Amino acid sequence: MKLKKAIFVLTDSNDQHVAESAIQLCKKFKSKLFVLFIIETGRISRLARLTQKKSDMLRKKIEDEGWQSLYLIEDEADKTGVSTSLHLENGFATTIVKKYVDAYNIDTLLVKRKNETKKLFVSSMVPVIGL
Amino acid sequence: MILKISEVLKPEAIIMKMKSKEKIAVLKELVDHMVDNELVEDGEEFQKALAKRENLESTGIGDGIAIPHARTDAVKGLVLAFARSEQGVDFSAIDGKPSHLIFLIASPVDRKSEYIMALAKLSRLLRKQEVRRLLKDADNPNEILNIIKKNEE
Repeated sequence: MKLKKAIFVLTDSNDQHVAESAIQLCKKFKSKLFVLFIIETGRISRLARLTQKKSDMLRKKIEDEGWQSLYLIEDEADKTGVSTSLHLENGFATTIVKKYVDAYNIDTLLVKRKNETKKLFVSSMVPVIGL
Repeated sequence: MILKISEVLKPEAIIMKMKSKEKIAVLKELVDHMVDNELVEDGEEFQKALAKRENLESTGIGDGIAIPHARTDAVKGLVLAFARSEQGVDFSAIDGKPSHLIFLIASPVDRKSEYIMALAKLSRLLRKQEVRRLLKDADNPNEILNIIKKNEE
């Protein structure tokens, strides 16, 4: 298995807790680490219904949390000398991940193991490592 | 704590027309400008920290934007600077495009959460195409600050 360019996909700021494993893997294989935070379609409206908060406010909050997760991961990666590239996208996770894998020749997908990421394991065209 | 980019960025830390054309020279011009305006004490150390970060990874985030950043004790608090380049600067952005809007962020080593928050807020703000267009067209530093203030509310 090649591991030159890996992508760590987050769909929630809690996924950040497994970032250390993604960083260590990239350090071991001397890989570049793409870090992609995806705000999945429907998440904002679902949260708005549940919390009775305005969608605009929730979007701002989730985008801020997403960027904070990305920069915290970058900060940790820097300490180990792993090079990162940070991205935040809105949409369907499977479609966005495929776009990134194709555009940047990603060879390995890293995701936190949880119900919401099962679809990524099934649909991915490159090997997936569950963290 | 509510952090506002428009309050951290000072008019004197804004360069409307950058002279330098190459990444490291751009960083130097920005740092020198901040030192001249007494926003940074140890310019040499600050520049070293920024260059170290640039060597590890590109801070060109695409769409004509670069956000060079570093945590360093060469600064005494959270500092921000902004520069605009007409011709664009190669920050090795992932989309291959030159950066025309350059935001520099730095904070002391022990003020990580404030630093991360500033980076996050700025990144979210700059994702808006309309904000990028307005920043490119603005005529003076106060206009730049008003655009940021209006759009971060």
